[in-house]
Amino acid sequence: MSQDKIDMLQRALAREKLARKQAEKILENKAAELYEAKQKLEKSYAELETLLNKTDSQLQGVFENIVDAYVIIDLHGNILKVNDAAVSLLGLNDSNEDFNLLNMVKPTEMERVAQSFKMLLNTGSITDFSVTILTDKKVEKLVHINASIIYDDGIPVAAQGIVRDITLQRKYRKSLETEKLKYYNIISNMNLGLVEVDLNDRIIMVNQSLLNMTGYTEEELVGKHGVNLLPVDDDRDLLEEKINERRHGKTESYELRIKKKDGEVRYWLVSGAPNYDLDGNITGSIGINFDITELKNLQLQKENLLDKLAKSNDDLQEYAHIVSHDLKSPLRSINALVTWIKQDNEGKLDAVTMQNLHLIDVTLEKMEQLITDVLNYSSVGTNENEKVDVDLDVLITDLVKIMYKPDHIKISFLNILPVVKGDKTKLQQVFQNIISNSIKFIDKDFGTIDIDVEDLKSHYKFSIKDNGMGIEKKYHDKIFKIFHSLKKSKESSGIGLSIVKKIINLHEGKIWLDSEPNVGTTFYFTLKK
Amino acid sequence: MDKTLNILLIEDDMIEIMKFNRTISQLQLNHKVIEANNGEDALKILHKKDELPDIILLDLNMPKINGIEFLGILKNDDVLKYIPTIILTTSSNQKDLLECYKIGIAGYVLKPLKYEDYVSKMEKLLSYWSINELKQI
Repeated sequence: MSQDKIDMLQRALAREKLARKQAEKILENKAAELYEAKQKLEKSYAELETLLNKTDSQLQGVFENIVDAYVIIDLHGNILKVNDAAVSLLGLNDSNEDFNLLNMVKPTEMERVAQSFKMLLNTGSITDFSVTILTDKKVEKLVHINASIIYDDGIPVAAQGIVRDITLQRKYRKSLETEKLKYYNIISNMNLGLVEVDLNDRIIMVNQSLLNMTGYTEEELVGKHGVNLLPVDDDRDLLEEKINERRHGKTESYELRIKKKDGEVRYWLVSGAPNYDLDGNITGSIGINFDITELKNLQLQKENLLDKLAKSNDDLQEYAHIVSHDLKSPLRSINALVTWIKQDNEGKLDAVTMQNLHLIDVTLEKMEQLITDVLNYSSVGTNENEKVDVDLDVLITDLVKIMYKPDHIKISFLNILPVVKGDKTKLQQVFQNIISNSIKFIDKDFGTIDIDVEDLKSHYKFSIKDNGMGIEKKYHDKIFKIFHSLKKSKESSGIGLSIVKKIINLHEGKIWLDSEPNVGTTFYFTLKK
Repeated sequence: MDKTLNILLIEDDMIEIMKFNRTISQLQLNHKVIEANNGEDALKILHKKDELPDIILLDLNMPKINGIEFLGILKNDDVLKYIPTIILTTSSNQKDLLECYKIGIAGYVLKPLKYEDYVSKMEKLLSYWSINELKQI
């Protein structure tokens, strides 16, 4: 082996030694780096583990404290984990109880639940699923569920869900709906026509009664302007005015004439009120309408009848005057003729004939008085004067002064007579009639007539007491009837007391009497204050 | 000296006319009485206008044109409205009385039952109008 070769080999060896040394050095460095990295890794792992624990306990806290029920089940429905809210919702004894959630589902709901379970598996989640369950404690509840699948390495292993009890909510909603239905039924069945309009008076809603009342269909009304469609032409301005007032928040009732689809005019009583939204803004108005046509007709009928009655009263009055005229005329003629016979035959007629002719005159006078009285009777109550304050004390004291009374009769006032509201002449007629009756029928040597008054609450009670011949009980009612004179005489036609009664009735009073034959009579009557 | 009156008596009742005539003669008055049985006849007489009466005595209750209608016609006539017209009637109806005064009358006298009373009333009435100055038509 040549030196050169040896040298070459030695140089190569030395290079290799150096290279190994360098490699060893690099290796040494790398090992140190590795160690350092391992140290770092260990540290960060520890940190991660702490973090994981922390997060896990945080999650556990959320899980425990969540208000809604939280349930984790395996894919067969067996409960793996529940929170306290779920325990109480599902009616379990404690959170560790073994239970299959599917056992709680009502048999009728099974089909729906199976379907949604399938959907959960396929899509990974379900939301807003409502189902009725029967809890462990046999209480029926409606629950709302949102659920999702838990995957491990892409493989579904369990499902978690949040369950909410909406039984009460549904109950509220149901009762709200029931109430709504109730009011809807009231509105549609009530006899009142209801119409709701917007701010432009466009009809939004009508009820069945309104359709019946107008003869229109719902389609013909909704969306139309009520003002143009319903009222009769003359009342359109009125309605527009009322609608305007309602826009200013006024609530009121008024009468309105409307025209039905077939043209028939009806009277409505309209009660209108503004309609507000939740913020208190006026959005239109609601009108409740009541058909008062029948009532209105009755009212009109009544007015017509009153008019007719007034007219027929006038006619009757007129008739009484004509009859009285026609009856009196012949009497005058007979009187004239009898007088002429007497005048033309003076000295030629014997006493008996003269007496008979005189009797004709007497009869004629009586007849005329009768006609006058009948006319007076029929006149009481017509031409009614306005009632004024009448001072009876002055009126009757004066009356008694001017009345004819025999010397043996004494008229006394036991109390001062009051002031009453009435017709002066007619009231005087009442006193005059009763007092002159008393005077007429006093048969004692010394006659007394006592006039008294008593203050009742709403009326005055007057009494006129005499010590005359008295009236038998059986005649007490009769004497107030027309043509019932008890004593046939020239001066009494039997109409006097019936006129008295009529006048007292006009003054809202009553008349009656107490009497004992041979002892005396007391007439009582009342007059309204 | 009292005047002699031309009297138009409008009356449909025969005996009433007899009564009036008898009264005139009984009282020995010289008044001239023109009779009309109803308003139409009276208007015919009045429309001649050659001999108009000084006063008119008018019964209210008459056939055809009644007294009040007749009065209205009278008062609407420019000439006839000056003739004093006295109502002679049985009707004490306030309505009639008021209506008559409204249209315009010179008196309203109720016919009494008794002939004697009638004579007395007519005597007063006629003597009153006898002393009155009347428009010469």
